[in-house]
Amino acid sequence: MAGSPAYAVDLTAMIAATMLPFVSFLTILIATRGRPRLSAGLSIGSVTISLACSIALLALHFHLAAPIEFSTRLLASGGLDIPFGFLLDRLNLLMIAIVSAICFLVQVYSLGYMAGDPGFSRYYGFMSLFTWAMMSLALSASLLQLYFFWELVGLSSYLLIGFWYEKFSATQAGKKAFVMTRAGDAAFFIGLLLLFVHTGDLSIAHLDSRSALSGVSPSFLTLSALLIFGGIVGKSAQFPLMTWLPDAMEGPTPVSALLHSATMVAAGVYLFARLFPFFSMSSVAMTVFLAIGTISMLLASTMAIVSRDIKKVWAYSTISQLGFMIMALGAGGYFAGVFHLTTHAGFKALLFLCSGVFIHRYETNDIYELSRFGARRMVIPTVSIVLGAAALSGLPPLSGYFSKEAIMGSLAAMHNPLWLAAGLAGVFLTAYYSFRVIFILLFPRAEGAASPPPQEAGITAGGHAAHESGYRAMAWPLIILSAVSVIFGFFKTSFKDFIGGGAAAGGAAGMEPSWLHIAPLALALAGVGLAWVEFGRKGAKQIGFVDRMPVLSRLFAERWYIDRFYGLVVEFVIDRGISRLCSQNDRKVIDGSIDGICEGTVESGWVVAFLQTGMIQYRLLAILGVLALLLLCFYF
Amino acid sequence: MHMEPATFPFLSAILLSCVVGMLTIMVIPEERHVLIKQVSIFFSGVCLLLTLYVFFAFNRSLGGLQFVEQVSWIPTLGISYFNAVDGFSLPNLLLTGIVFFTGVLTMWELNTRVKEYFALYFLLVTGVFGLFMSMDLFFIFVWYDVSLFPMYLLIAIWGTTRKEYGAMKLTLYLLAGSALILPAIIFLWAKSGLNTFSFVSLMHPGMFSPADQKFAFLLLFLGFGILAAVWPMHTWSPDGHVAAPHGVSMVHAGVLMKIGSFGVLRVAIMLCPLGWIYWAKSMAVLAVIGIIYGALVGLRQTDLKYVIGYSSVSHMGVVGLGLSTVTVAGLNGAVFQMFAHGIMTALLFSSVGYIYDRTHTKLIPELGGLSRIMPVASAFFILAALAGVGLPGLANFWGELLVFLAAFKVYPLFGVIGVVTLVITALFMLRVVQKTFYGPANARFAGLPDVSPWLGTPRIILAAVLLILGLYPSLLFNVIRTASVPFMNGLPR
Amino acid sequence: MIAPFSHVLVVAGILFALGAFCAVTRRNLIMIVLGIEIMLNAAAIAFVGGSLHLDNLDGQTFVLFILAVAATEVSVGLAIIVYAFRRTGSFDPADFNLLR
Repeated sequence: MAGSPAYAVDLTAMIAATMLPFVSFLTILIATRGRPRLSAGLSIGSVTISLACSIALLALHFHLAAPIEFSTRLLASGGLDIPFGFLLDRLNLLMIAIVSAICFLVQVYSLGYMAGDPGFSRYYGFMSLFTWAMMSLALSASLLQLYFFWELVGLSSYLLIGFWYEKFSATQAGKKAFVMTRAGDAAFFIGLLLLFVHTGDLSIAHLDSRSALSGVSPSFLTLSALLIFGGIVGKSAQFPLMTWLPDAMEGPTPVSALLHSATMVAAGVYLFARLFPFFSMSSVAMTVFLAIGTISMLLASTMAIVSRDIKKVWAYSTISQLGFMIMALGAGGYFAGVFHLTTHAGFKALLFLCSGVFIHRYETNDIYELSRFGARRMVIPTVSIVLGAAALSGLPPLSGYFSKEAIMGSLAAMHNPLWLAAGLAGVFLTAYYSFRVIFILLFPRAEGAASPPPQEAGITAGGHAAHESGYRAMAWPLIILSAVSVIFGFFKTSFKDFIGGGAAAGGAAGMEPSWLHIAPLALALAGVGLAWVEFGRKGAKQIGFVDRMPVLSRLFAERWYIDRFYGLVVEFVIDRGISRLCSQNDRKVIDGSIDGICEGTVESGWVVAFLQTGMIQYRLLAILGVLALLLLCFYF
Repeated sequence: MHMEPATFPFLSAILLSCVVGMLTIMVIPEERHVLIKQVSIFFSGVCLLLTLYVFFAFNRSLGGLQFVEQVSWIPTLGISYFNAVDGFSLPNLLLTGIVFFTGVLTMWELNTRVKEYFALYFLLVTGVFGLFMSMDLFFIFVWYDVSLFPMYLLIAIWGTTRKEYGAMKLTLYLLAGSALILPAIIFLWAKSGLNTFSFVSLMHPGMFSPADQKFAFLLLFLGFGILAAVWPMHTWSPDGHVAAPHGVSMVHAGVLMKIGSFGVLRVAIMLCPLGWIYWAKSMAVLAVIGIIYGALVGLRQTDLKYVIGYSSVSHMGVVGLGLSTVTVAGLNGAVFQMFAHGIMTALLFSSVGYIYDRTHTKLIPELGGLSRIMPVASAFFILAALAGVGLPGLANFWGELLVFLAAFKVYPLFGVIGVVTLVITALFMLRVVQKTFYGPANARFAGLPDVSPWLGTPRIILAAVLLILGLYPSLLFNVIRTASVPFMNGLPR
Repeated sequence: MIAPFSHVLVVAGILFALGAFCAVTRRNLIMIVLGIEIMLNAAAIAFVGGSLHLDNLDGQTFVLFILAVAATEVSVGLAIIVYAFRRTGSFDPADFNLLR
């Protein structure tokens, strides 16, 4: 199939879209570390080409009927055949477009945000690494290849979270993120190997065709589905491996926007969608996924209610929105999940980038302090953040409204009304915590309004100009993303045609009762209303209802003690438990016995040496004695 | 087995350039340090070029034994000077060439007893090269001991932490290994009745009875296993790593431990396949214990070199697991992992060496914030640590992938344990990276210079190899499978 | 031959026993060397007796060798003893156990 020119164009475009960022990554780290502007230029240039290629591919294949696959063998070794190539269907056309677009916007934004940082080149190098890994992940043709880039995405996350490596909390967070996602990935890897051993093929197209796995026993299918889902839990920060994501906010804010909300963490959901037909073959596994999505969604929402750190609120909300997507997919709503992934990528990136502008300007993450410094005076970010929060809460006519409604539709199709109830509760909580932040930001309380913004005085003329240009670089992406959030929802039907046609569309659209259109909206408005009463209206004390219940607020602020639990496990069970036991064993038992044997040898040497007096005459005597004995022996 | 005679004795040329290098160093006046180092670099460079030539000239479609040179030496005992390479030994030969060369470069800054150091170092590597290319059991034993003897002096004279203890422990362990190997070799020689030590003649299916194979395999596995740091015979290795000077640590962890696993493969497995099948399960148990145990002990170490030492125990466990699966994929993975691990640890030790030479400490609590002071040197260490974690895109990933894949077919439980251990490995490697390189710059080390391009050369070479193989593993797999596939096909079942 | 061969052997044996006794019991290096000399001479007597008894000159050739060896042995041995005495001021063999 590779012969025809159209395919050659596709292939070239895909190779360019994936490999150019890799080339720029290597070039930046090896050659241009000392020249920040050149590095940024290289990185942005390569991501621009990626974006252009992705959009061209999307346009070219907008009416793609059957997936296209290009593959060669990377490695063949006795009984093992590892293909390597590109798979192109509607889902990853969408994914590469999202990824490259957001990468592009965030990299442009970073020109302002990271200006003057000593690690500027390194930052762009890692960004290129991420772009390469994420684009390749999206285009992977086999599960193993996907795993390969999956880990590399994790690596870039590790490097970028710990980007300011002199800060202890940042390095700690990076390590935690890597190890926790690694724990999920171990499950993924095991599942992958199991699948490989039993089916002999890891190509995604193969796994997704129902006929391929017909001979496999259902319990095995469930087991491998659950194991692979482990990777999704790790990467998308679902319960119980969710706590790394809020800590990951130690990285630069654009990184949080790109990796930890819009794209990388969505890779888990992407994998779910990618293997949707495979997963949906096991109903047990799907129920587990639904449950995990629900738990994560609710837990994370409660955590977001009490956080004072603006980035952490968005981080918790990311977990909870990813939970929504997983719920949707778990409920069989393929379209709803993917649609929410798309809209979420837009408005969550927007929220983070807006917060980034505030943080960059006022150098604090605390919402109350930001509010006191008068963050609302910055018009573009303020308007954008309100739009983003409204989209997040699911208020019409913003994009979030449409995708949430789709999710509720697919949940309503489940037999058990519990899921729908949980989903609706989630909608309410989402609206509440997002507008809590907005109202606090918009309506500073009087007592703090006097404190001046910290940077104003020290700015020189040149610095001010640079600051202005930096601000412009940061503002444009905000405007674009806001526009997308506003408009995108209206393309729901065409989006549905696009996605729904590509793969088996699950769910039961059409049989939604009419109240379903109203209920989410009503609950979202109720959430906004509660936030208004508690935080927005004149004279509100800005104390949430949860804060009045110390037990609950403590539980939420401590993240349900999940982190504490992991800390204890690592410290007491692994560090001071097994690991210590092994080290002691090494030192005392193994080394001890070896040293004992050696010392025993030396000791016995001394015993023999005692017989050896060094008197030449005794030796002579011994010789003669032995000779005499021999003589006796021979004679008698 | 197909045998391709050499048109030119390249293998002997490798040995010869080592020996000539050693002799040349010995006649240079003691105080001309720079000249000695230049000569060392020249001769090790020649070795590297020759191994590279052999590696790329090896005919991958033909397979079998190539570059064969055979000269009868003591015909009455059937001992002959018999060199050849096949798909198993070729990666090890290349590994030795690379580590040898980079090890010389790493010790560029040495200034105590330079002449003796390099002479002994060359002798050590001669033994290692000889072992990897020899196809005669007697010579394999001789080369084993040749590489053993300089090790003691190198550690005891130029070492650092508890050097006499480390050197003595290492020597005793390895001698114990050779005490097990020698009887096994003589046993095989006697049982065959062919009056030959030639590997090719002995390697016929049905040459030895199953009972003999079981016995000989056990002796050989234990003997070579000591050198491969099979649990619980591993404690010499971290102690030896720590005590040795950096260049020697590189050879020690990078190459010497591979002699053990290579010996298990070449002598034990290939001569006694039935014994192998019989003992495979026990091998797998020891290997898995080694994997998880090494990682757990590594978690608690505070000396950089001990951390690397225990990670080596864990990684060599992966090699052992691959060898114990009795599958083609397992063998391929094991040999690949030997190579990848050799390069990776060499890079780690080389980087630690640079850091130690500047800061004069390798205790993790005393270090910290080195990324700010010497970013490039730190980057190399971090890269190697990530390879050790098994990150895709770096060589170790492929070895581990194949080994675990094979393990899943044969011992699913062990495969699971192995994969889970990757998480612990990640934990302790990243901890070390965090404590050593991240954090605020330590004022004590402020102003220390970063790696200059010249001093960085060995690390650049090693890092490039890791990266190239990580992205294009077939380069090595194509070679390995020329040996593993025919061998497994000819295996009596 | 006037004396019977057995007598010669008895004399040689007695001489050998005396030499051995001297070499083993005396706590003086010179006396030890002396004892060894006597043992050598006892062997020489036995050789001469044997040579006459068997009508074979090989035995006497051996005696010549023994004489030569004894001479060198005494000279080297005495030199060592003198040197040892200079080093330590003692003839007692119990004082020389450095290699123990």
